[in-house]
Amino acid sequence: MRRRRWSRIAAAVSVVAVVLGATACSSSSKSDELLIYNAQHESLTKEWIDAFTKETGIKVTYRQGGDTELGNQLIAEGDASPADVFLTENSPAMAAVEKAGLFADLNKDTLDQVPAQYRPATGKWTGVAARSTVFVYNKARLQPDQLPKSMLDLEQPAWRGRWGGAPAKADFQAIVSALLELEGEQATAQWLAGMKAGAKIYNDNIATMKAVNAGEVDGGIIYHYYWFRDQANTKEGSGNTALHYFKNQDPGAFVSLSGGGVLKSSKKQDQAQQFIKFVTGKAGQEVLEKGTSFEYPVASDVPANPALPPLDSLQAPKVDPSTLDAQKVTDLMTKAGLL
Amino acid sequence: MVAPPVSRTAAPVSRPDKAARPGPLVSATVAILVAATCIPLGYVVWGAVSVGWTRAYELVVRPRVGELLFNTVGLVVVTVPLCVVIGVGVAWLVERTDLPGRAFWRPLFVAPLAIPAFVNSYAWVGVIPSLHGLWAGVLVATLSYFPFIYLPVAATLRRLDPAVEESARALGSDSTGVFFRVVLPQLRLAILGGGLLIGVHLLAEFGAFAMVRFDTFTVAIFQQFQVTFDGAAGSMLAGVLVLLCLVLLVAEALARGRARFSRIGAGAPRAANPIRLGRTTIAAETALIALTVLALGVPGWTIVRWLWIGGTKVWVLDDIATALGQTIGLATVAAVLTTVLAFPVAWVAVRSNGVLARAVEGANYVTSSLPGIVTALALVTVTIHAARPLYQSVALIVFAYVLLFIPRALVNVRAGLAQVPPGLEEASRSLGSSPAATFLRVTLRLTAPAAAAGASLVFVAVATELTATLLLAPTGTNTLSMRFWSLSSELDYAAAAPYALVLVVLAIPVTLVLFRQSTKVAAL
Amino acid sequence: MTTTILEIKGLAKSFNGHTVLHDIDLALQPATMTAVVGSSGCGKTTLLRLIAGFETPDAGTITIDGRQVASPESAVAPHRRAVGYVAQDGALFPHLTVGQNIAYGLRGAARAEVRGRVGELLETVSLDTSYASRRPHQLSGGQQQRVALARALARQPVLMLLDEPFSALDTGLRASTRKAVAGLLTDAGVTTLLVTHDQEEALSISDQVAVMRDGRFTQVGSPQQVYRHPTDRFTAEFLGDCISVSCTVASGVADCALGRIPVQASAADGPATLVLRPEQLVATVVSDSEQLDGVGTVIATEFLGHDVLLTIDPAGDAAPIVVRQHSLNPPPIDAKVRVEVVGSGVVLN
Repeated sequence: MRRRRWSRIAAAVSVVAVVLGATACSSSSKSDELLIYNAQHESLTKEWIDAFTKETGIKVTYRQGGDTELGNQLIAEGDASPADVFLTENSPAMAAVEKAGLFADLNKDTLDQVPAQYRPATGKWTGVAARSTVFVYNKARLQPDQLPKSMLDLEQPAWRGRWGGAPAKADFQAIVSALLELEGEQATAQWLAGMKAGAKIYNDNIATMKAVNAGEVDGGIIYHYYWFRDQANTKEGSGNTALHYFKNQDPGAFVSLSGGGVLKSSKKQDQAQQFIKFVTGKAGQEVLEKGTSFEYPVASDVPANPALPPLDSLQAPKVDPSTLDAQKVTDLMTKAGLL
Repeated sequence: MVAPPVSRTAAPVSRPDKAARPGPLVSATVAILVAATCIPLGYVVWGAVSVGWTRAYELVVRPRVGELLFNTVGLVVVTVPLCVVIGVGVAWLVERTDLPGRAFWRPLFVAPLAIPAFVNSYAWVGVIPSLHGLWAGVLVATLSYFPFIYLPVAATLRRLDPAVEESARALGSDSTGVFFRVVLPQLRLAILGGGLLIGVHLLAEFGAFAMVRFDTFTVAIFQQFQVTFDGAAGSMLAGVLVLLCLVLLVAEALARGRARFSRIGAGAPRAANPIRLGRTTIAAETALIALTVLALGVPGWTIVRWLWIGGTKVWVLDDIATALGQTIGLATVAAVLTTVLAFPVAWVAVRSNGVLARAVEGANYVTSSLPGIVTALALVTVTIHAARPLYQSVALIVFAYVLLFIPRALVNVRAGLAQVPPGLEEASRSLGSSPAATFLRVTLRLTAPAAAAGASLVFVAVATELTATLLLAPTGTNTLSMRFWSLSSELDYAAAAPYALVLVVLAIPVTLVLFRQSTKVAAL
Repeated sequence: MTTTILEIKGLAKSFNGHTVLHDIDLALQPATMTAVVGSSGCGKTTLLRLIAGFETPDAGTITIDGRQVASPESAVAPHRRAVGYVAQDGALFPHLTVGQNIAYGLRGAARAEVRGRVGELLETVSLDTSYASRRPHQLSGGQQQRVALARALARQPVLMLLDEPFSALDTGLRASTRKAVAGLLTDAGVTTLLVTHDQEEALSISDQVAVMRDGRFTQVGSPQQVYRHPTDRFTAEFLGDCISVSCTVASGVADCALGRIPVQASAADGPATLVLRPEQLVATVVSDSEQLDGVGTVIATEFLGHDVLLTIDPAGDAAPIVVRQHSLNPPPIDAKVRVEVVGSGVVLN
């Protein structure tokens, strides 16, 4: 008798748990929420979303992922994709999705907010933020005169075992795509071979920076804002390091554009366009200036965070973001044995 | 988790054929499940075929794959023997010697099972940040997986008939001789079963090795997925991984020989006289203390330390509660569904003898060793191309969990079912209960404890699953493992600590279940 | 004319090409107990399982209380056959109490009614009603067997099938338990089919004995019939010790070293083997002075406690005979004894 009662209770509890679980996990495909496929840092996008919802009342939800992962997912999903907006950290994924013909034209007033060099000519998407490639180095191990003059120097045997990077991540692949665009396939393949032979491989930018800080390697190729974030925080990952900007239109001075676009398949074109307009508008760009992301604003004449060197002083090489070829970079990296 | 060898009571001599053929509903369910388990293999084969031989050759025969092969095989070849030595050694000390504090040590070494391997990695990286490479992988893996050998070996040692060893002594063997010539051969099945389980876990693990920057096949496949999503390179690597799994299976089958199950004699044998350690007691105690510090102390201390450093601001109760709720919800659904589906499969396997039974055995054997990432990749591909509405749905991820973990539930349900003598079911039928009523009133009731144990194992496995979840989770789903992973990937160790703590706490009850199960005579 | 409760005609069954039962015919009268006796592996348990419905026959029919329940084409499922089945080990449900076990077959009855019935049944098997709340593992083997019996009787089946019910009990308990069980089944007027390998058990409690060998019945009849008048050597030797003596038969009388003994009328004339039961031989000591024919010498004695076995060398070339008798004042070795035969013998091939 007692056992029967317990088994009934257990059955009831299971049913309740099942129902709760099912409802808790169902993808919130509520018809009034805008869905972003977000490859940008979650914290930054959250700031944008909060400000946007406050201003417009439109609710937003997002799917977090990596540049290439989400980009490829969008391409595979095609017109059946549930996404309305795509935000990335770098351009190659945007270029790939654009090539697949999945973006809708952005409204003119949105595009007018962004200077021409920070968006592709096609008007299918726009830059929403920017980051600069830098060489972070350990101050105790490298003196300023020992620093590499160009990113290409790192393939030399002299740098073997003394630098690091994170080739599996989209950030680094964007840098390599710029290298490919600027120097051509052969030079890129050579450089990648040098990397395979001589560089220490880390999981991502932060890991690279921390390794440089710990003295494991003399220096590493990362994006600038990780360093500034850590410096503003506990300095635990960068206290012993400093940044070296390659300048001179060197491939190592590549400024990568974070992109934003509206999917053609979106059923909320209006709201999606509003979102991109907001992000590139004054309020959205000020999030970059005043917030803790330390990425560069690119639109609405909003200046960068005072801690950063101004964007135009970096002497970045001219690269058309639409031409960056993620697929080719993957192939070259696979050939080099890095993937 | 633990899949110790199943015992089988002696079958009656006068009944050469097993019970009647299973009914149509049962057969259909089982046939569908067996077909579903072919999806991952099918994906790998289809991937190879569709890419063409030349390209497949290019993608497989290259230095990077050689690297991955060296890493993965090296990992297995070093970790498994190490685990065997530690597992058998600890089991021996705890079960057969007069080591002081045995009753305390015995359950303690099951505890590492409560700590997911990626949390272990996280802990070690917290202590030695520059930890990376093969030896880091071996360290973390050994400390996480040695209980898979310890549990069945300890259980077997407890049941060995001391009369055999006493005879050996009477014939002139000393303690070492007795151990290597008499005891160890009787432990063979337990060691092989545990070793296979560890090998399978090593091949399938992603988070733990990614965190220490050790590239195995699964880590590389995951990277490929992030870079190319649906690409050929990923499925090629998956193909090589599947081949490695098959090699492992074959090796274990060959080593095992024809013995499929260990026999448990009628009644519990009397306990053996404990071996006196004498002067080696201190060395033994030190070794055990060292093992505890490494396996439990380091994770425990690291989590506490990060929680301390993080203070109250890492306890974002909103996020943690949501993640906890989603994890428990998914895990409960998956556990219940898996256990329910395990019943017809177990029934066919234990009680019938036809083609379906053999197909079930084979399918189960293979899928129990396939890494989760291959299954996840296969499901992503299949749903994107052929079943779009299922893509990124809760139904799909639950289905994936069922496929991944039905072997674990099956071990327990099978063992439970095998313990129900057919005589009881016959008695029930002769007393007027139809076969369905007999199942509900007799078989199910008697199998319930084993089924519950199986369900709880699946629950914990789902709650701590990372790889397949990362690939298949619907938008808006963020389980504890996913949150832990995204935070520790950003090297925000302090924020990840609460999630690590919750994961460990969730897993503790099940470890207790496992331990109690292994001490009861009939339950294995 | 009373209808037979169980009628089996031409039953046959094979497993994996190996024939276990050939052409079995059996009829059970109401309120009787029949024992099927044979050695292990002869097929008797298979017969029981066929009647219970756990197997289907390859040939032949089974009719229970006038209703055909099994034939090669169709078979009624076990849960619809109204047959009580008690397995060798009792097969009590470990997850239910004794009372719940007994009430298992009583579905749909009111709780008070069930409780009353359970009490009745416990009394019938001579167990105190307080046992109803105990669990099977708390009972001894004999008690478990009785609960299994009560459980099967609860549904008032027309036929009870018992599979070696007493073989799991200690020898001391066996005799008393089987007497008690036989008694209660007879009182209840239940028709019973019992399967056993113990011939003493079969002979002591049943009204009909069927001797089985390699899937066939060698003889079916009352205990006295099969014991005193076995129709073949196997039956004779299975049901008890035999003494074989060579003899010459002439018109229903066998002439042998032990004298002239009447045998069955159908015996053919000429040389044959006479089969006697040990209790038919009595050895009495003769004093040397009495006549010497029909007298033998004791050459060995074996003390068995209750009995002694006397090996007697009869006069002439005949082989030594073994006589069993009570152990009070047995004849010593080398004593002269005369062996007398009581009753008639059987001549078997």
